[in-house]
Amino acid sequence: MNHIVIKKGHNIRIGGVPPKDVVSIAGSESVAISPKTFIGVKPKRMVSEGDSVLIGSPLFFDKTKPEVKWASPANGTIKTIQFGARRVIEKIEIKVEGTEAVSGPSFTSEQLVSADRTTLLTRILEANLFPLIRQRPFNKVANPKDTPRDIFISAVNTAPLSVDLSLLIETEKNAFQAGVIALSKLTNGDVFLTSEKGHQFQNSINQTISGPHPSGNVGIQIHHSKPMKPGELIWTVNAQHVITLGKLFLTGSYIPDVILTVAGPGASKPKTVACKVGASIKSLIVDQNLKDDVRLISGDVLTGKTVDESQFLGFYDSSVTILPDSVNRPFLGMLALGSSDSKYSLTNTFLSFGEKEFKFNTAQNGEERAIVPINAWEKVLPMDIYPNELFRAILAEDIEEMEELGIWECDDEDFALCSFACPSKIDVGSVIRKGLDLMELEG
Amino acid sequence: MRWLRNILDKVEPVFKKGGKLEKLYPIFEATDTILFSTDERTHSGPHIRDSIDVKRVMILVVVALIPCYIFGAMNVGYQMALALGETSTWQQNLIRGGLKILPIIAVTFAAGAFWELLFAVVRKHSVSEGFLVTCALIPLVMPATIPLWQVAVATTFGIVIGKEIFGGVGMNIFNPALVARSFLFFTYPARISGDKVWVAGPDGYSGATALAVPAAELNQDAVTLLESVTQFDFSWINMFNGWIPGSIGETSTLWCGVGALFLVITGLGSWRVIVGAILGLTGMAVLTNFMAEVTGSSNTMLTLPAHYHLVMGGFAFGVAFMATEPVTGAHTDKGRWVYGFFIGALTVIIRSINPAYPEGTMLAILLMNAFAPLIDYFVIQGNVKRRMARYAQ
Repeated sequence: MNHIVIKKGHNIRIGGVPPKDVVSIAGSESVAISPKTFIGVKPKRMVSEGDSVLIGSPLFFDKTKPEVKWASPANGTIKTIQFGARRVIEKIEIKVEGTEAVSGPSFTSEQLVSADRTTLLTRILEANLFPLIRQRPFNKVANPKDTPRDIFISAVNTAPLSVDLSLLIETEKNAFQAGVIALSKLTNGDVFLTSEKGHQFQNSINQTISGPHPSGNVGIQIHHSKPMKPGELIWTVNAQHVITLGKLFLTGSYIPDVILTVAGPGASKPKTVACKVGASIKSLIVDQNLKDDVRLISGDVLTGKTVDESQFLGFYDSSVTILPDSVNRPFLGMLALGSSDSKYSLTNTFLSFGEKEFKFNTAQNGEERAIVPINAWEKVLPMDIYPNELFRAILAEDIEEMEELGIWECDDEDFALCSFACPSKIDVGSVIRKGLDLMELEG
Repeated sequence: MRWLRNILDKVEPVFKKGGKLEKLYPIFEATDTILFSTDERTHSGPHIRDSIDVKRVMILVVVALIPCYIFGAMNVGYQMALALGETSTWQQNLIRGGLKILPIIAVTFAAGAFWELLFAVVRKHSVSEGFLVTCALIPLVMPATIPLWQVAVATTFGIVIGKEIFGGVGMNIFNPALVARSFLFFTYPARISGDKVWVAGPDGYSGATALAVPAAELNQDAVTLLESVTQFDFSWINMFNGWIPGSIGETSTLWCGVGALFLVITGLGSWRVIVGAILGLTGMAVLTNFMAEVTGSSNTMLTLPAHYHLVMGGFAFGVAFMATEPVTGAHTDKGRWVYGFFIGALTVIIRSINPAYPEGTMLAILLMNAFAPLIDYFVIQGNVKRRMARYAQ
């Protein structure tokens, strides 16, 4: 079995780590999907306010790819459809009233193994679950008309305060295996399954990886197993969504379950919970004894979005992170010796030692400045890519140089740690995203 | 410190948009954030950030210079006593030397802060902490005898031409402190070119610097020549410790080494540059020694061994604090080796073969500052070629 060793990177020792045991929580009164979550999608609604929907009924489709539709994660009535500028749908909210799901044909394991690509692809599209599959480059919803070179699944989540995927895959072994078999039919290449513990599944190339974050990011895994070339397409599926797809084939219905962590230094009761896709943030933090000045984040602390109580869990997110949002101003802080309680740095510029968990808040710890290249980015980017030069090529909008420097292999989430570590407080990820957008625009 | 915070909070509206002194906001902002760490919170990208910022980076470089300052003051005092033929305690040396260099420091910081603040206000950017480092470096590379107006002119040139016209810290091509020094070097060579010692002492007191000694004689052995000097103790160990005349902060290889170690441990200076430079210096010195042997050249400098090159002139200081400056050096790790190596090698070449200047470190670093982007270009091209080869498969 292929084993990848990642040396560069860092596991942020953030406080508020949740226990691994899953507790179920009271369901959300309403759930929502926000088409804004999906890069490049032009949503067209298929429901109106007041309509009744089942779990799995289509809510909207993408005007650029009409066969790709989004399934309702709940059974109930459409409560609101919120429009933004130029009447682009921002959010579809459903009031949860029951648990009835759209039912379709189910497959046994043997049937799955012998099924052909068209059958399985059609089934995923009909179940309105195709958005679970994303493509690289660009990290956007895949196009069902494409055939990807390979499909990559990361079975290890190294992001701060994330769900233990290993445990989850062990408990949902059958569904996961069914999902892997189905996905293996969608590509002429292979399904690469990368895990920490060495899960063994059929119809996939099982490989292991060790090392700090971002080793769990699928982009890093692609880079180290079979890097992408310009013009190639790779599909990626979250491990949790592989289980969802597996269950779709085994049961015939969409089961919109998601395991997520509610954690972080601002959480009074860090925990791992089972909830529904698109659950309201309020329902997830209801038992947290929160102070007034906290920041709620849908997603992990490196790549998540700021949300408030009235908003909903992001489609691809599997954590809600809570951070204290009040920042104090120590006198002559730049001269402070620092301690493991007051400072957290990847450099040795403070007297903070040990492996102690750190109570992070939302402090930027400095103002934005020009780049001072002390290798802060390079130390946390485990790719054969020069981030500083790529960054500058993107700012210069030099398409050719961006391609030469390897932008096709990049995604903004892989650069989040660079922004974390940057002494100049530069948001590297958003510039990488800008570069990717530019590449897509220029074809 | 509550009272200070209250004062700052009270005057803040005056500098805010619409306030009376809104144009001077960068000055208020700099004062405010230097005294009290910023409370700016993350708004895009990761929600949490490393505790390090550019202020911390810069202030730690200043901290790394403190040993050189203390030793520098003591040495200035010691050399004064030596010139006057007096005996003195280290406390006397420290006070005497300190009084000599304090005006230089004050003038440098005044001139530096003036230009930095002026540019911040006019160009409407925030005050960059980098000027602290530049201003901390400049006095250390000046002789104690320098006229204060020259310090002000040099600092102005270094900050404005060396840095601000490129857009400020992070955008500059040459190390501003070295630009300041080279300005004096070429415009007022009598004061600073490195052939005559600069000792704050009685009028007319003079002597040859360690590097000028072998450069002035033909067909001699450099080490024998140095040891025959009676005016100063030019033995290896004394030059390593730094009790010799020179610029204020550069004489002691020992304390420059301590500063360099601090920069390497904190990760602010690249050890690759330092090791590369020492390798380059050693390699080139071995080569010149060999050339002296084989060609029978009359150039005495060619016979100077590597470990003498290391402790003489400004090499240790330049490599520890100037070459390691991340912005103007090579940005890639491979490039840093090459960049450092050539600084070391060029230093020996300029010292030994160039008849005009006894010292070469400053020019070697400035020259390599200019070549750093080219070095990086070749390193990056290596990466690009590798990737293109993979794409072509």
